[in-house]
Amino acid sequence: MSVEMWTEKYRPRSLSEIINQEDIVNRLIGFVKAKNVPHCLFAGPPGTGKTTAALCLAHDLYGEGYRDYIMELNASDERGIDVIRETVKTFARTRPIGEVPFKILILDEADNMTADAQQALRRTMERYTETCRFILIANFPGRIIEPIQSRCAPFRFTFLSREDLTGRLRYIAEMEKVQLLEDGIDAIIEISEGDLRKAINILQAAASVGKPVDKDVVYGVVGRANPYDVRELIRMAMEGEFVKAREKLRELMLKYGVSGSDLIKQIHSEIFQLEIPEKWKIRLASAIGETEFRLIQGGDDEIQLSALLARLVEVGQIIGKDRE
Amino acid sequence: MERTESRNIPWIIKYRPRTLKEVIGNKEGIRKVVEWLKSWEAGPPKKRALLIYGPPGVGKTVAVEAASRDLNLELIESNASDYRRNSDIKSFAGLASQYSTLTGRRRVILLDEIDGISGSIDRGGLKAILSVIENTRCPIVLTANEIFDPRFLPLRDRCLLIEFKRPSVREIVSHLRRICLLEGIEADERALRYIAEKCNGDVRSALNDLQAAAQGLTRLTMEDVLWLGYRNRKEDVFKVLRTIFYSKNCITVKQAVDRTNLDLDMLFEWIYENVPYHFDSPFELSEAMEALALADLYRKRIGRTQSWSLLRYVIDLMTAGVALSRVGRTGRWVPFRFPQRIKLLSSTKKSRELLSKIGSRIGEKCHVSSRVAVRDILPYLRVIFQNDRKSAEGLARWLELDKAMVRYILES
Repeated sequence: MSVEMWTEKYRPRSLSEIINQEDIVNRLIGFVKAKNVPHCLFAGPPGTGKTTAALCLAHDLYGEGYRDYIMELNASDERGIDVIRETVKTFARTRPIGEVPFKILILDEADNMTADAQQALRRTMERYTETCRFILIANFPGRIIEPIQSRCAPFRFTFLSREDLTGRLRYIAEMEKVQLLEDGIDAIIEISEGDLRKAINILQAAASVGKPVDKDVVYGVVGRANPYDVRELIRMAMEGEFVKAREKLRELMLKYGVSGSDLIKQIHSEIFQLEIPEKWKIRLASAIGETEFRLIQGGDDEIQLSALLARLVEVGQIIGKDRE
Repeated sequence: MERTESRNIPWIIKYRPRTLKEVIGNKEGIRKVVEWLKSWEAGPPKKRALLIYGPPGVGKTVAVEAASRDLNLELIESNASDYRRNSDIKSFAGLASQYSTLTGRRRVILLDEIDGISGSIDRGGLKAILSVIENTRCPIVLTANEIFDPRFLPLRDRCLLIEFKRPSVREIVSHLRRICLLEGIEADERALRYIAEKCNGDVRSALNDLQAAAQGLTRLTMEDVLWLGYRNRKEDVFKVLRTIFYSKNCITVKQAVDRTNLDLDMLFEWIYENVPYHFDSPFELSEAMEALALADLYRKRIGRTQSWSLLRYVIDLMTAGVALSRVGRTGRWVPFRFPQRIKLLSSTKKSRELLSKIGSRIGEKCHVSSRVAVRDILPYLRVIFQNDRKSAEGLARWLELDKAMVRYILES
C-alpha cells in the first residue's frame, strides 16, 4: 500500500462520494447527464471542495481516463497570462475523441490574476469555447472581473458543517486505524475553521505522533507546525523594538517562505485579540488595510510591512502614554 | 549601557595603537623615527624636523603618536588647516621656542598632512614654517602623502625624510584577526584576506571595512565581505546617507543624490536599512518608514506604466521625505550598516529555491499552488516527517522528493 497525504488518499473520486455541498453536486450531476458543461466559476473558502468537485465532475464525465481530457493550471504558479494562453492554445486546439466534444481546463486560484490578465483570459475563453470549457476556482469571486463572471455558471461553496467535518474525520481515522478521541475532534474542528484540507492534515500529523489523538496531541502538533508567531512580531513592534521586529519579519519571509499577503491576513486577525483600547483596533485595521492595498498595487512585501511595523511602534508608544 | 556606547565607537579609534609595538608594519621607518627623537636628548640634531611621507592609512600619524607615548614626550598636534594666518604661525613658533613644558616633559610638535589641504601652504606660510624649523628647540614632525611637488623642495632639504610603505597583506590580516578576537567574532581567514587585499595597504580603510561588515556578527564569512568590492561606491553612499540623516533641508538632500551616479535601488536599500538606527523617536521612525513605503510604491508604478517622470517623486520621498521626518535634533553618530536584506537574499537564495521546488512537488500531487503548499501543507508534512520515519519515506517517494529536499524539510 502506498503512503500518501490523506487529503489525496481520501479525496472523493466521483460526485456521488461528495458528502456535502448538495445543491452544487446536484447541478453538476445534471451537467454530467446532459454531457454538457458551461464555463464555471467555483468560489468559496479554502478546503470546501472546489477542486474536488471539479475533478469529480471530470471523472464522471469522461470516465476513468479523465486525466487525458483535463488540464489543471494554477494561476499563482504559471508565469503570466502568456504562458496560460499558450498552454490553453495547445491544449484546446484539438477536439477530443469520444462522446464529449470538449476538454476541461481547471484554473485554480484564478482570483490571483491581475485584471489585465483576466481580460486576456476572457478572450481566450471565448475563442476556444467550442473545444474547451473553463472551470475557474477562486476564494473571492469579487476579484474576478465582471465580463468573466457573466460568462460563467456561478457556484458558491460554503464552509463545511461541524457534522460533515466530524463524519469525515471519523471515517478517515477508522480507515487508518487511528484512535481519535472526542476532545481531539473538537480541537481539530476548532483550529481548522471549516477547512477540511486543514482538518485532515492536522489529523494525519497528529496520528504520526503514535498516540491516541486527543486535544493535547492536536495542539502540540499544530504548535509545532506553526513555529512562527505573528503575535510575537506584533508584540515586538508595539513594545518599540523595531529592529528586532524587522529581523523577525525577514526570518518569516525568507526562511519560512511566508508571503506578505499571508502575513497581513494574520496580523489583521491578531489585532482584534490585542489588549488595547477598542478604538485603536479599528485604526490599526485601517492601517493594515492600506498596507494590503499597497501590496496588491505591487509594493515590496518587506518594505510595506516594515512601514506597518513602524506604525505599530508609534501606536504602541501612544497607547503606552495614554495609559500613564 | 556601556556596551551600546562602545559599539558606537569607530574601530579605528577603539583599536588605535597605543604603543609602537602595536603599530603594523614599517619596522625600519619606525626605528628611524625613534632614533631621531632620541637624538634630541643630546641637543638639537642637524636636521631639526622630520618629514614622514607615504600613502594614506599606512600609520604615519599613529607611529608618531605611539612613539611619543613610548618615549614619554608630550605630543602637540598643530592644526595644519591654515598656515597663512599670522596668528597660527606665531603660536606654532611660540610652541617651538621652548624646550620643554612647565611639567618638565619634553614635547614634540606634529604638523599632520601638510600637503592634505590644497593651497593651504602658500609661499609665505611655507617660509614661516621653514624659519620655525631653523630655530626650533624641540622636534617637529611633518607628515605628507606626496613630497615631490617642487614647492616642497626647500622643506625636503631641511628635513630628515622617512618613507612609510604599505604594510603587507599578511600583516594586515593578522591585525584584523586580533581585532576580531577582541570583538568575539569568529572570522573566516578568506574573508579577512579579502578585506586586506582590497584595502591596498590602507589599514584605516581595512579596519573601517571590517567594522562595516562584521559588527554585530559572531561569525564573519566570505559572504559578509563580498559587497565591499564596491568600496568607491560605498564612499559615495556614505556621503549621501550622512546628508540624509543629518540635514533638514530638501534641496541639500536632493542635490546630494543628484550629484552621485549611485544605483537608486541600491541607495534605497541603504537608506531603508539604516533608518531605524538614526531615528530614535517612534514618530520620526514611523514617518520616515512611511516615506520609504511611498517611494517604493512610486517605484513600482514606474515599472508598471513605464512613466519615468515619476522617478522624481521616488527620489523626493526616499531622500528628503526621510530627512524631513526628523523633528528633534540629529542623533548620535552611528556606523552605517550594509543592507542586511541584500545579504540575506543572496545567502538564502539556494534554500528559497529548494523550498519553492518542494512546494511545487507537493502542489502537483495535492492540487494546490506552490505557495499554498508551502504555507498550508508543508508545516504538517514536516511534523509527520519528524515523527514517523517510515511514513516519511513513503510520502517522500509519493511526492517525488529527492534527498536534499527531505533533508531540508527535516532540518528547517
